Amino acid sequence: MSGPRTAHRTRAALALVVTATLGAGCGILPELPPDLPDSVVPSVPPAQDPAGADTLSPDGSDAVERMAVRIRNVGCDGLSTGSGFAIDARTLITNKHVVDSSRSLQLLSYDGRDIPVDTASTAELADLAVVRTSEDLPSYPDLATSDPVRGDPVTVVGYPEGGRLTITAGSVIGTTTDPLHENLGEVLLTDAPVEPGSSGSAALDDDGRVIGVVYAKTSTDKSLLVPVSTLQDMLADEAMFVPLTEC
Amino acid sequence: MIVLLSLALLAMLGLAAYLWVTTTRWQESSADWEDEARSLGADVASLQSELDGANAELDSARTQLGTAQDRIADLANEKAQLGDENEASQQYLDYQSRVSDAAGTVAAALTQCTTAQSELIGYLDDPDAYDQEDLDRFAEQVDDLCQAATDANDQLQLELAE
Repeated sequence: MSGPRTAHRTRAALALVVTATLGAGCGILPELPPDLPDSVVPSVPPAQDPAGADTLSPDGSDAVERMAVRIRNVGCDGLSTGSGFAIDARTLITNKHVVDSSRSLQLLSYDGRDIPVDTASTAELADLAVVRTSEDLPSYPDLATSDPVRGDPVTVVGYPEGGRLTITAGSVIGTTTDPLHENLGEVLLTDAPVEPGSSGSAALDDDGRVIGVVYAKTSTDKSLLVPVSTLQDMLADEAMFVPLTEC
Repeated sequence: MIVLLSLALLAMLGLAAYLWVTTTRWQESSADWEDEARSLGADVASLQSELDGANAELDSARTQLGTAQDRIADLANEKAQLGDENEASQQYLDYQSRVSDAAGTVAAALTQCTTAQSELIGYLDDPDAYDQEDLDRFAEQVDDLCQAATDANDQLQLELAE
């Protein structure tokens, strides 16, 4: 009676081993390789403009240079030059003393183009003047919303000595009362180098916004600026400016 | 028992066949990937070469742009200086013209003055031949002419003083 039962048990055990072996073997068998993809190159993101491209003109000039304007004042008693800068497409700011006693004003852009003058007016309470042009100016910056404080960097763009367009840098030293008594309120004192002819130059912060207008230099070679708050106040009230009278 | 062994043998043969096929397919796949890698490597080398060339051209273009911008600034400055000189010359010419005009006016007035004075002297050489009132009136006219010459000379001196 035990012979057939033992054989049956052996066959069952063998079947179990074979089944287990095949089952385990299928679990560790390598799979077939997947098909090669059509492309392994990832999609390329769209090209970005190079850094600083938004501040460049088609001729590669910096926006800071493009807003500067050279002013020639052909007066009745001689010739003088100064600087100015655009604040919109057809308006530029300079100093009153740059355009005073004028028979005609001649404007030159950063690239030497003549820009005809439409009208000019001067402020009564500050050394500021507004000149309107009859053609568009190349570029204009934003005005800062507040005056700079001591230590803030400043960049001056203008035509010292009536020469080449020049960019100088420095920092704000502080505020002072106007030693020339031409401006109401306080003016800014900086160590950015300026020379005669720099009058009317824009003083910019690191973001390229106007923080003041150069109008003089001290005996210690410091530059004096009409602060942007004064400029904003003047521009907000057209009555502050009176038309320039020819000499 | 024999049946079980036969089944095991068949299973082993099937497993061996599967492993052979799998190995062959992996070898083919590996070769394909190697081809793809070599192709991409060649592309990378080509693109790197093109990038080097483009960077060299960019550097050159930047240098040229810098030179062109300097030249633009120089030319703008030269034009400005020439404009200044032209205006200064024009002002000098205007001044010279005013001085010349003033000098001409002085010369003409002086001529009229001296001519009239000579004429008056001639009349005064024989005063009885003329009516005294006429002589006085003529003398006043001579004074006016000479005063005009003096005024013209004052104007000339003002122009010269500028």
